[in-house]
Amino acid sequence: MTEIQFAANPELAEDISEVLLTSGQIQDRVKQLGEQISADYAGRNPILVGVLKGVLFFMADLLRAIHIPVEVDFMAVASYSSEARDKGLVRLVKDLETPIAGRDVLFIEDMVDTGLTLNYLLKILRMRDPASLEVCTLFSKNKLRLIDFKCKYTGFDLPDRFVVGYGLDHRERYRNLPFVGLLKPQVLKNRGPE
Amino acid sequence: MSVTNYIPADTTPQNSSNGQRPNFSHPVEAAFARILDYYGIEWQYEPRTFPLEWDDQIRILEAFSPDFYLPQQDLYIELTTLRSGLTTKKNRKIRRMQALYPEINIKLFKRREMRDLMVKYGLDQEAEAFAGDAAQHDETQQSTP
Repeated sequence: MTEIQFAANPELAEDISEVLLTSGQIQDRVKQLGEQISADYAGRNPILVGVLKGVLFFMADLLRAIHIPVEVDFMAVASYSSEARDKGLVRLVKDLETPIAGRDVLFIEDMVDTGLTLNYLLKILRMRDPASLEVCTLFSKNKLRLIDFKCKYTGFDLPDRFVVGYGLDHRERYRNLPFVGLLKPQVLKNRGPE
Repeated sequence: MSVTNYIPADTTPQNSSNGQRPNFSHPVEAAFARILDYYGIEWQYEPRTFPLEWDDQIRILEAFSPDFYLPQQDLYIELTTLRSGLTTKKNRKIRRMQALYPEINIKLFKRREMRDLMVKYGLDQEAEAFAGDAAQHDETQQSTP
């Protein structure tokens, strides 16, 4: 409860019924992942590729936990909004600025659940002939997986619940909570624009 | 016992690639199909029926048709909008299917998982179905036998 009471953003935190992962737990795990990646990619100058927007927080913390030279780039895809649905297929709205042919690419995700977006992006990246392509996700929900992946690095396996915080949103809110928590049921039920 | 035979539900599987839209038995199934379409995932709707029980004459007494099949993933998907207390029969069928057809991959998306999926993809109207009576069909009203 302390995390909720003392969150810098109490207006958001009050919608949380339970903290699943404290900011301390998240930071400890991110540091471990950073150590592991530093050891595995030493001397390879990998490119870390993230998909906006949820990965922002994890990417920023992970980069600072990695102590070897790395580059970073971002992609973005049209979310499954009503406008995007009308246009048919998912599409890139921001592509990489760095060529990745022959490079070691580590794809960074905040959350892998169905794997649908990740599957789409990995197909695109594979076509660009990277020397290697691996996935690092901070959070994973295996129960929702539709596309099977091997994530080389996984921070936490999350339960089958709707969670927010540390990049994870509900209608674009709650990303800036420093912890990961469950939304109160009444918040999930509320519809319409905020 | 392992059984490899199955009954084709239809000689022409309904899917998104041939332009035919199946008659989905629940709006949530249609929403799920649209999500798969959006991400370019090939799917078929109820393409197979798996016998589960036979009588002495090897006539089929009970069978199960999972809602979706994803050919590229070789994965069957069963969606349920039923509240957890009403899923006993469906859970039993899936357990029976897994015992008889261990080589078949099947995943059950439960009510809360479906709701979360709809919320995640901004499908508020469909998510709302999980809050009211629409989510409480009796199992006999579902597409699966």
